[in-house]
Amino acid sequence: MGGDKIRKDKRQKREDYRAAIRKEGVSELPRKKFYRQRAHANPFSDHQLIYPPHPDQMDWSSLYPDYVVDEPQEQQTPGPETPSDLDLAPLRPKRISKEVEVADIGCGFGGLLVALGPLMPDTLVLGLEIRVQVTQFVEDRIKALRVQDQEAKLYRNVGVLRANTMKFLPNFFRKGQLSKIFICFPDPHFKARKHKQRIVSTTLNSEYAYVLRPGGVVYTITDVPDLHEWMVQHFEAHPSFERVPEEEQEADTLVNVMRTETEEGKKVERNKGQKHVALFRRLEDPAW
Amino acid sequence: MILPFHLVKSCGGFVFAAQGSDIHTFSSALEHVSTWKYPAQPVDKPHEPSAETQSSPAPEGPPAKRRKVEDCQDSVSIGQPAESTNGKPKSKKAAQYDCPANERPFIQGLYATADGRHLIAITGADKTIWVFEHDLAATLTLTRSMPKRPCALALTTDNRTILSADKFGDVYALPLLPSSTSKSVENSTANQSSPRSTTSSIQTPSRSTTPSAKPFKPQADPLTVHTKRNLKALEAQKISLARREAILREQQQAANRPQFEHTLLLGHVSMLTAICVGTSSSVDGRPREYIITADRDEHIRVSRGVPQAHVIEGFCLGHEDFVSRLCVAPGGRAELLISGGGDDDLFVWDWLHGTLLGRAGVLEHVKEVAGHEAASKVALTRIFACRWEGVRVVVFVVVECVPALFQFELLEDNTLQHRETIPLPGNPLDMEAIETPGATPRLLVAVYPGEEGGSSLIPLDKEEAGWRLGRVENLPAGGDANIGDEELQKILYSTESLRKSSDFD
Ligand SMILES: C[S@@+](CC[C@H](N)C(=O)[O-])C[C@H]1O[C@@H](n2cnc3c(N)ncnc32)[C@H](O)[C@@H]1O
Repeated sequence: MGGDKIRKDKRQKREDYRAAIRKEGVSELPRKKFYRQRAHANPFSDHQLIYPPHPDQMDWSSLYPDYVVDEPQEQQTPGPETPSDLDLAPLRPKRISKEVEVADIGCGFGGLLVALGPLMPDTLVLGLEIRVQVTQFVEDRIKALRVQDQEAKLYRNVGVLRANTMKFLPNFFRKGQLSKIFICFPDPHFKARKHKQRIVSTTLNSEYAYVLRPGGVVYTITDVPDLHEWMVQHFEAHPSFERVPEEEQEADTLVNVMRTETEEGKKVERNKGQKHVALFRRLEDPAW
Repeated sequence: MILPFHLVKSCGGFVFAAQGSDIHTFSSALEHVSTWKYPAQPVDKPHEPSAETQSSPAPEGPPAKRRKVEDCQDSVSIGQPAESTNGKPKSKKAAQYDCPANERPFIQGLYATADGRHLIAITGADKTIWVFEHDLAATLTLTRSMPKRPCALALTTDNRTILSADKFGDVYALPLLPSSTSKSVENSTANQSSPRSTTSSIQTPSRSTTPSAKPFKPQADPLTVHTKRNLKALEAQKISLARREAILREQQQAANRPQFEHTLLLGHVSMLTAICVGTSSSVDGRPREYIITADRDEHIRVSRGVPQAHVIEGFCLGHEDFVSRLCVAPGGRAELLISGGGDDDLFVWDWLHGTLLGRAGVLEHVKEVAGHEAASKVALTRIFACRWEGVRVVVFVVVECVPALFQFELLEDNTLQHRETIPLPGNPLDMEAIETPGATPRLLVAVYPGEEGGSSLIPLDKEEAGWRLGRVENLPAGGDANIGDEELQKILYSTESLRKSSDFD
């Protein structure tokens, strides 16, 4: 019972802290210790996730407010207007002028996002993370960075969403919408019976291929040799992907960013661990 | 209690109806012809027709002493696939202990090939697919049984491949009939139709007989090959103790993998609820097959057919609750898909382009039957479409625990229009049309009779004055099953349990 009390106090403190940080205009960067969460969330269970039924119904305006298109309040559309037409288009969210093109799957605390933002200022970058608190941390981090960088207007192009990417990628992205997908230091799930929970599998790779445009690239990095092997084998075995040759890989500046800017990458650096990188290019679908 | 008929299927000029674990054969005039009973003992020689053809229609004694259905029924439908995904050990246990051969599991699905030559049944508790050959003269011969428990099946248009969709979200291709190259392996499993012996037979596998090693594959298939390559790679590395354990476990899993050809085609990370095959012509005008799959997380996915099933062509997105049924429209309207599930409406799609064409309310009509207060949601269990009077396409819909059929018409503009609600003396469990040349089809509905009892197999004929409910004379009585009403309902009404509860994380 005492433990309960302590836990409560701690939780209260966390909540107070996060409420303060979330106030508009706060430029203080959030501190991780107030956002910790159990390491794993089961990708098979339902959770209480919010996702649009269809990518057209996704409201991106709150994530990328600087890109909202000012539209005159939509006048009624001409043409045949039956009630069923209205039914079919229930939600018309505010439009933004660009589409997300780069996704960081399992973005964790957002190190990569924050590095990518200024590097590709004309591209919308989105982090996807299943853990609530961690997502909130990244959200607060982006908010604070935007306030700090009023002048340069940086970080307007990065956003984060809570999502289970193993189930709901097609709810957020249309076919061929993305040009890059990052999968950095994914949870290794060592035990064989947990391999089904791995974020790379031959069947899931079909979904990555679906949201990636031909020529688009999946970036992977891990410090676990087995997992590296696993990812390489599963992507290489998938007819929609080919591995990017090492030379080309090393010439890609983003590879280094991924090595050094991810939180996990930094951790591995501190522990003098190894980092295994592999890139895969989305091929054109064969004729059918 | 006497079990109701719960599945009906037309196949090659006959009608098959499942009652508990039995499959009864009827002529198209609905005269009972014979009955296939789930083998209480391991069947010795399934390849010899005489051993395996059905028993006489004469009533047999009460079957099992006791049916422990609770243990037998699958707990899959209870919503959370997460728990059960982690493992073979659990399913193995189920196969070995939960359902001794004398406790026959319910038939959970009946499918027929388009040519009427084969009937396929799924039994739940023992996780088996049964393939029967039908000689088009009422004789049903068990050809093979495979230890696999799909949630739903479909057949490719050439009638040669079963597409099996399971609760783990995966779709496998299984040849309807064993290919000649794998005959030897096939026999060793097919000979043992009881769940128990099947299990034992796959405990001593040899690597060479794993499906991936078979020459039959249309092309080197990445989805089965990788595990082997993987294993090799693992072996090549220095193996820590922990890893050695992992490998052992993986080998064990490989050992539990069924010893018949099966190829992983595609997968969702969600329980699959429905699967069907759609066709459309390609640029060069040849017909192309697509695999359409639906899951509990509101998705309808359209993948290319074999050998390009790894390519996702698109999604039909818009459902806001689980999808439980898919139906490609008949009558030259094959570009249309009708779907339904936990939503209040039916959806009509141009499935190849993922475009929603129309919605039609179901809940409003359910309310008229069940009362406006009582009915607040829909759990759709059947969408049955057929041609009507030549040109029209009508769609019948069954909603779980609602004693009526809802008839819609698919109009020229691709919308669905509610036409009629046909009240029934019990909750419909399944329905089928019996085609009679030239006339309007006759419907056959399996119902769970209401309080007053009554027949569980009801033919419906459309007449000038409305629908006439007929009778099937001399229905086989069916054994007295030791199962309570509540347990039975849990088995027969499992669709609502697909709905997500909104208050847990
Ligand atoms: C080990 S962390 C790596 C974080 C970050 N990419 C980095 O390199 O620092 C893996 C992250 O993936 C997230 N994750 C795991 N499964 C996920 C899923 N299905 N959808 C979204 N995120 C997921 C976990 O919550 C975790 O934060």
